[in-house]
Amino acid sequence: MNFHVNPRLLFGTAFGVFVILTLMIAVLPAIQIQQTPATPGLEPLSERAARGRDIYVREGCSYCHSQQVRPLPQDELFGRPSAPGDYVYETPQLLGTARTGPDLSNIGNRQPSDLWHLIHLYNPRALVQGSVMPAYWWYFRKKDRADADDVVVPVPGSSAPKGKVVVATPEALALVEYLHSLKQPPLEVPASGEEQGEASKQ
Amino acid sequence: MGSPAIGKVRIEEIIGEDPALVRLIYKYLVWATVWLIFATALGLLLSLKLSYPDLLDFSFTSYGRVRPIHTNALFWGWTSMAMVALCLFVVPRTSRTQLHSLTLARVALWMWNVAVAAGTVALAMGINNGDQEYREYVWPIMAIFAAGMLVHLYNFLCTVREREIEEIYISNWYIIAALIWTTTLVTVGYLPWYQHGLAQANIQGYYMHQGVGMWFTPVVLGLTYYFLPKFLNRPIYSYSLGVLAFWTQLVFYTLIGAHHFIFSAIPWWIQTIAIVFSVGMMVPVWAGTGNFILTMRGKWRTIGRSYSLPFILAGAVCYGLVSTQGTFESFRWTNLYWHFTNFTIGHSHFTMYGFVAFLIWGGVYGLLPRLTGREPSIVAVGVHFWFSMIGMGIYVVALSIGGTIQGTDWVRLRPFIDSVTDMAPYWLWRSVGGTLMFLSHVIFAYNLYKMRPRALGEATPEVARA
Repeated sequence: MNFHVNPRLLFGTAFGVFVILTLMIAVLPAIQIQQTPATPGLEPLSERAARGRDIYVREGCSYCHSQQVRPLPQDELFGRPSAPGDYVYETPQLLGTARTGPDLSNIGNRQPSDLWHLIHLYNPRALVQGSVMPAYWWYFRKKDRADADDVVVPVPGSSAPKGKVVVATPEALALVEYLHSLKQPPLEVPASGEEQGEASKQ
Repeated sequence: MGSPAIGKVRIEEIIGEDPALVRLIYKYLVWATVWLIFATALGLLLSLKLSYPDLLDFSFTSYGRVRPIHTNALFWGWTSMAMVALCLFVVPRTSRTQLHSLTLARVALWMWNVAVAAGTVALAMGINNGDQEYREYVWPIMAIFAAGMLVHLYNFLCTVREREIEEIYISNWYIIAALIWTTTLVTVGYLPWYQHGLAQANIQGYYMHQGVGMWFTPVVLGLTYYFLPKFLNRPIYSYSLGVLAFWTQLVFYTLIGAHHFIFSAIPWWIQTIAIVFSVGMMVPVWAGTGNFILTMRGKWRTIGRSYSLPFILAGAVCYGLVSTQGTFESFRWTNLYWHFTNFTIGHSHFTMYGFVAFLIWGGVYGLLPRLTGREPSIVAVGVHFWFSMIGMGIYVVALSIGGTIQGTDWVRLRPFIDSVTDMAPYWLWRSVGGTLMFLSHVIFAYNLYKMRPRALGEATPEVARA
């Protein structure tokens, strides 16, 4: 029994310990977390919103926008603290680890205007001076004249293309529907997150 | 040649290694450097985009798509290939035998190149595995990469089994265990059954953290346990500290992934364990750093006269500093200010660059001339060192200050956009640092060319006299 001369023992132990710790800290808790029921009032995504979510994932939105509200005073503007049940329909998870842009957990309530989102996606700087968000112009078409069933995006000022109208593609509309779906249902009882918030303030 | 003003010594020996192995090591390093230059050019583009958001605004060059291309190409392209290039020498050498199979190592290089190239194209097209850091490649692509890792694992295990020395040298503990841990990690990270909703975030914390700390950290530490004593020509200060660091790394590091999700909806006990063992990490970190620094004690003149050892010194110091910084970042009270900010990005570059890349460069500059008999220009190595060092310094300091301002803006409940506009000067400084880092990689590529192996039949050079 000597780690220094027995590769089977050495690497077997390194592997075994790693697997046990992995089960303890990652896999088994994950299985347990997965049993969490949905927060009451949380709606599954509509088909179009789900397509919008795919676009959100495709474009890597969550590298800059988190979807987790912490039980902290500075997070209050984003909504109530996130609860485990809020994520039941969220795969792949989009909690994020950075807030170069604001948290979007509750953006459907905080910014309910579809037109605002469309203009903002077409060119964020048309609405928010100083924004560094990419312009997602490839989800829009520039046309000479809008057709009857087109959703026209009223881009203001110098951001608007001259002599053309900007029209949203179905993908842009799906993405906006997803953003619109991001609404935190109110919690009836204090979530564990809120108790944590009290603890952290002390 | 050789500038007497700098007083650097030339290589003292040439290792008579199998020319086929030398060429394979070199091939690994060339591909690693191709990915390094490609991915850091993209890094610079990303950095500039935060100052000029409409720069190169095509879909496939947009921020959200290029960011994972940058990180993954540096992880699985540059760093992994460069580390393994050195392992191809160190594992057989410390086992006093030949590499089990050159062919397997050749095959694995192409598996990795295919995986990183395919992953890059897929990410540019918007095909990803969710925006989950370091597992953005879709599973069929990552499976190719993991298969390449298994090939290396098998090859190195066989090499160690064929060793002509009783003990398994500590470098091989780290290198082979890292391959075992990381293939396990990738498997756990990609199996879908326990990854719905928030459960996936728990796996993400576990995965993203250990993608760094159970792969890059142990491999470069293992390499340094060989290179440092070798280049200094004295034994490691304490072999036992290396063993202690190995086991504590395994037990503590595996448990701390959730410190990336402090104050999230992930169970509170997992977050607390992550914080506690993040403090525990000071044991393996300072056992490792201390061991390296104590091995260097009194040899400062040798280090000053070498062109590889300064990289290793810098890497060892950065290891201690950046890991201590990481421990501090895991606390709840520091999360109040630093979580979600650019401070984290500064930390990650401090790690992958100051610690990991510097140790790799130290190994490359020390080993390759001994294998090929060709030395790079001492001035060019110096320029590489200082551009990398100063560039990284500017980068990390800018983002640490900027990130703290970002977090403070939030705590002071300022309008959100203030935290964006306040970053403007720091993002510009980051690009300045990033430009220096990128230039240093071009110089490294040039130096690598200067150290190229001789063609078959070319005369072996006479051994340089110091």
